[in-house]
Amino acid sequence: MFLKSTRWVVACRFEDLPPGGRKLVKIDTTEVALFNLNGVIYAIKNRCPHRGGPLIRGVLDAAGGIKCPLHGWRFDLRDGSSQRPACATTYSVKAEGGFLYLAV
Amino acid sequence: MQQEQITQLIRDEYAFFLRERSGWSLTAGPQDLELVAHALRVLLHARTAPDFLADYLALVDCQNTDGGWSPFSAEQESTVWVSAFCSLMLIRGNRMLGHERLTQSVRRAIDYFLATQHPDGRWVDPRWADLDTTSHPVSFFNVVMALGEPYRRPDIQRAWEQGVRFIIDHQSSDGGWYDNEFHPSGVEITAHLIQDALIADLVIENRVRGIRDACAKGAAKLYELQAADGSWDDENVDHTMDCTRSLMVVTRVLGDDHGREIITRGLQWIINVKNPQGWGDFPGMESNLERTCDGLDTLLKYQAYCSTDPLAVVRFWGYVP
Repeated sequence: MFLKSTRWVVACRFEDLPPGGRKLVKIDTTEVALFNLNGVIYAIKNRCPHRGGPLIRGVLDAAGGIKCPLHGWRFDLRDGSSQRPACATTYSVKAEGGFLYLAV
Repeated sequence: MQQEQITQLIRDEYAFFLRERSGWSLTAGPQDLELVAHALRVLLHARTAPDFLADYLALVDCQNTDGGWSPFSAEQESTVWVSAFCSLMLIRGNRMLGHERLTQSVRRAIDYFLATQHPDGRWVDPRWADLDTTSHPVSFFNVVMALGEPYRRPDIQRAWEQGVRFIIDHQSSDGGWYDNEFHPSGVEITAHLIQDALIADLVIENRVRGIRDACAKGAAKLYELQAADGSWDDENVDHTMDCTRSLMVVTRVLGDDHGREIITRGLQWIINVKNPQGWGDFPGMESNLERTCDGLDTLLKYQAYCSTDPLAVVRFWGYVP
């Protein structure tokens, strides 16, 4: 059995994402939207599985959801789950040495 | 805005659209059918559909046995929104193509919509808000009725009227339509619904009371929501194109001259945020084919809107021969 190993890559400096902030980063060819909700960092692929809308421009809600700006599909930032027909891809995040890392 | 500038933009963007054909043509392989429908609409409005008969027939080939289409051509589970968009492109394309396979395909689509309407008049699609979803079969039936398709006409008229009533009954008192889950701002959904409901009123001969007033209120709501720079919904390119196009046909039908300034401002913003080739979903974003089709469609409709023939732009919705 082969297990896919986790690769941690630098996303940005921690200080570049203050509470309430959001930031778009590119990991290889994939755009990832980062959000700092009350000190907790979330990372989600910046492409809505519906029509490809940019989630970085979405509307956040108090329950930790992001709503796509194009047609309103909502995703839970913790795991990408949705009540719509498809989920979004999320990434584990860690902070170390002043940097934020994403597991890809 | 000079007409020469619009004409040149259309020429350049259409050439780009053709170069990207492998990304939208079913003759190149399986495709996202929402994108295919957007592309076929460009062909219709550029009046080049007769050069692309194979694309229309390929869309017939991926129609499901129940008469609907799936969001992706290789799938087999029909959904309403994309089915309505595909069938609308087929019935309109067939006015130029006159092909028996398209005629039969449209009739199977009619069966699909008649079979999937809910008792309260709505159609449902998990990918879209119910109001938005409902407006699409209504729009298809508008064209079916306007073009005199005889197949199951009494059934269509009944379903169509119920669909329109569902739309009108759900208008907010401020003139907009909203869906708390999908469209809290109400911009895109209002843009879609005013055009479809108003045209339904024209074809249905005033059998549902208050549609013109409802649509005039909806248009006024869109005027109110336009930003000073001409965009809608926080610089949303998709929604700004939706509003600009919808207001072209709605203000033309209502005879509302105030709309011209709003439309021109919207179009100027759309041109200002265009990439060297195509459009993205927001200013500064990479171009994508769907938004590029919408942009090209907006330019083609604007050209018709500026025509001296008052019905020219209405024809771009397929409602008059």
